[in-house]
Amino acid sequence: MTVMDPRDVFHQEARELLDQLEEALLDLGTSSDDRDLVDCAFRALHTIKGSGAMFGFDEVAGFVHEFETAFDRVRKGSVAVSPPLVQVALAAKDHIARLIAEPGLHAADGETILKKLRAIVSSDEDSGRSDSFAPADAQASAAEPSRVQSPLQTWRVKFRLAENALVLGANPVLLLNELRELGPCEVSVAVDAVPPLESIDSEVCYLDWEVVVSTDRPRQAIDDVFIFIADGMELSIETLAGTVAESPRDDKAATTKAVDVDKPRDSTGAGAKGGTSVRVAAERLDELMDRVGELVIAQARLSQLAVASDDGNLKNVAEEMERLASSLRDTTMGIRMVPIGSLFGRFRRLVHDLSHDLDKEVDFVTAGEDTELDKTVIERLADPLVHLIRNSIDHGLEVPSRRIAAGKAARGQVRLSAVHTGSEVAISIVDDGAGLDADRIRAKAEEAGLIAPDAKLADHDLFQMVFHPGFSTAKEITALSGRGVGMDVVKRTIEGLRGRIDLGSRPSGGTTVTLRLPLTLAIIEGMLVRVGQGRYSIPLSAVEECVELPRDAEAGNSGRNFLNIRGHLVPFLRLRELFKTRTAIEPHQKVVIVSAGESRVGLVVDQVIGNSQTVIKSLSKLHADVENFSGATILGDGTVALILDVAHLVSFGQEFESRLRDERIGRAA
Amino acid sequence: MSKSVLVVDDSASIRQMVSLTLSGAGYATLEAIDGEDGYAKATANPIRAVVTDLNMPRMNGIEFIRKFRAHPSSTGVPIIFLTTESDEDMKRQAKEAGATAWMVKPFKQDQLLAVIKKVAGP
Amino acid sequence: MRTGIHPGHAGRAMTALTLRLQDEVFAIDAESVREILDVVPITEVPNANAFVGGLINVRGRIVPLADLRLLFGMDRPPPDVNTRIVVIEIDLDGEPTIVAVLADRVHDVSEIEAATIEQAPKIGMRWRPKYVHGIGKRGDEFIIIPEMGRIFATGDAGPSVSQKRG
Repeated sequence: MTVMDPRDVFHQEARELLDQLEEALLDLGTSSDDRDLVDCAFRALHTIKGSGAMFGFDEVAGFVHEFETAFDRVRKGSVAVSPPLVQVALAAKDHIARLIAEPGLHAADGETILKKLRAIVSSDEDSGRSDSFAPADAQASAAEPSRVQSPLQTWRVKFRLAENALVLGANPVLLLNELRELGPCEVSVAVDAVPPLESIDSEVCYLDWEVVVSTDRPRQAIDDVFIFIADGMELSIETLAGTVAESPRDDKAATTKAVDVDKPRDSTGAGAKGGTSVRVAAERLDELMDRVGELVIAQARLSQLAVASDDGNLKNVAEEMERLASSLRDTTMGIRMVPIGSLFGRFRRLVHDLSHDLDKEVDFVTAGEDTELDKTVIERLADPLVHLIRNSIDHGLEVPSRRIAAGKAARGQVRLSAVHTGSEVAISIVDDGAGLDADRIRAKAEEAGLIAPDAKLADHDLFQMVFHPGFSTAKEITALSGRGVGMDVVKRTIEGLRGRIDLGSRPSGGTTVTLRLPLTLAIIEGMLVRVGQGRYSIPLSAVEECVELPRDAEAGNSGRNFLNIRGHLVPFLRLRELFKTRTAIEPHQKVVIVSAGESRVGLVVDQVIGNSQTVIKSLSKLHADVENFSGATILGDGTVALILDVAHLVSFGQEFESRLRDERIGRAA
Repeated sequence: MSKSVLVVDDSASIRQMVSLTLSGAGYATLEAIDGEDGYAKATANPIRAVVTDLNMPRMNGIEFIRKFRAHPSSTGVPIIFLTTESDEDMKRQAKEAGATAWMVKPFKQDQLLAVIKKVAGP
Repeated sequence: MRTGIHPGHAGRAMTALTLRLQDEVFAIDAESVREILDVVPITEVPNANAFVGGLINVRGRIVPLADLRLLFGMDRPPPDVNTRIVVIEIDLDGEPTIVAVLADRVHDVSEIEAATIEQAPKIGMRWRPKYVHGIGKRGDEFIIIPEMGRIFATGDAGPSVSQKRG
């Protein structure tokens, strides 16, 4: 097992706590009297302070301590949460993040933030600076017995444990051992207090101990032996050569420390995420997924053997295996799936800051937070989404005066939503801003030489220009050029995830960007089909239905490349042609109707073999240029089958359809 | 089977630091992320000692100590609590709840080992 | 690099797996060889470069199968009892990658004396010099040491290959 460095764990944990803090602060911005949120913010701060101090982030601990102290009046409810307070608290959160990321560089900035905070929380009162937080070494001296030498002295130590001491975990043997470590001991025990057998409570220690110890250590060392159990015990310590006055034990002495903070917080789980969780390195999840994949393949082979066999027992075992393997697969896959809400939460701060910086009022609405996607996909989506949201607010939404002039509400809206559609997840960023300016995009594209000046382009095609790398080189920073900055990077990232990006816009009606991403599960349910001698797997989630290819379409090249599916024309692709299959055309061909997004296409195959679990393996670099396939899988008999890339085939089919239509229109004209 | 030291802390880094320190010194350890988790694990496993934070979500350390002490399996099990403050009230509450010893954060690894050794034996 | 054979370096023998492709003997650095398989079912990849037109299953791993005969303009008769698949690890754009190559017959693992390995002549050779790392000699027999890294380099092994089908 690989063990992470606790400091790395601290970094990760601090990030999560800071996220939690930020979330609570942003929520406080809208519901300022929610005590649970205040408590949640405080607990996050407090944990950062504690672990920060443990791992040597003294600046962090010191700053958080000051911050907590100043913020204390908010927690006690004597100061109300206000927007400026949230603002400065957010600044403090950022400061903490910087202190952690780059220790020693930012210490000075903290005072400015604290000053602001103090000004807000104590307008009428002295800001009441606390004693400073010193990550002192003054740890309980018990923990690190001081090595101060004194002249050798002999002590008589008499003690009797409190009645409940044994129950509470005290152990006289350990105490005696500790005394022995101080120097040579003579131990005697008095049993006078032991009651008659019948009234003995086995959990009470009735013994009186007397230890004579000679040591060169100071008396404090002996006191420290009893540091934790002094309450309620009888203890006397005296020197044999002249007695030292016995002083009442005071456990303060043992734990004195420069920390003097607020009252204890008996905070319960308010605002905290429920459920126990375990941190696992992503690679180990991948490894697990690989093993499960192999298991599923082996199980498929077993099932095949069982089907061919007459052995009833074998059949039973195979069925049992199939059930187990499939549930193991689901569980494993589930582990990798994370609700996208974890990502959405991060953008609230972005929107808050942009709204503040740009002086635009923005309602940020999210929906579909529960939609689950593979963890890796979610991580890689973060940057593109930041980019798109920034664009929407910066360049999409108009300033309030222009919005009012256009008859809109002064507050703009940016809506981020996620929804499952078939085998995909669609993530939309919708703003109600000015929309894309087709004329200006055209002008820009012409200027950049991306289109000919007289080219006729539908708006949809024109909008695609913003994804062109050349488009973003525009020097002029305008509302329009901003749309182009880095959009090519966004597109590349999405395509790298085997996804697509759609852009829609209406003048003055706002812009909609939709990202369509495959679930990219490592294992899918597949429909196995045959084309010529090759077998191919189609992700079952993309399959809508299977129909017979009408007799008159069988011959091919009949000019009829559409099927009428309940009144809708669906284009179809002959996979034999696409794959250049050399075998003779077979009768009774089938059409598998698949969909991606709102579009459908039919795939003509020679035979539908059946459904099977499909473990997706990606193709090597050597096949990076091969279209139509998203990966490959190993079938029950050990052979390899390619997995069809439905999204690619559908868009290919749609192009094919529109080309055909254009030709027809051309012929008709 | 050797008994474990149960480490209860909502901070993963501290939990890991404590566990690594203890396991490095030959103690078996078990981790829990808050009081509720701690109680479940403390009552379901053979426990040699408990190291617990006080300020935790779901069930804080004081409640956890109180609840565990009410369970028969806690008999003789030393409980060490970790606290960031030197607040006497907090410490008093924890002791009243049945804690055996305490550590004030920040502490060093050898300090932790000294306390563990002191209350739970080497 | 796996194919790091340095012809002409005095005293360094090359331990190589020798195999036959049609009438020629080829040598592959033995260190890069993972295993040698009998012929398994080959899945054709439609529209792929014919040189790596197949996929095979090697212990649950999907591995591209290359036919070097295509690159060297040789006849490509169907597999027979002697045909083997040699699984090797190559360095592909800096990433170790498992690929398989077809062999009409696998001979043996033997030492090829470094002194006998010569740089491939730039002219007077039927094959593209960049695919040949060097020519070794064993007895009267010439042994071709292919430059695996370049042969598999992405986007290189392709359309320009002249095909001769027999």
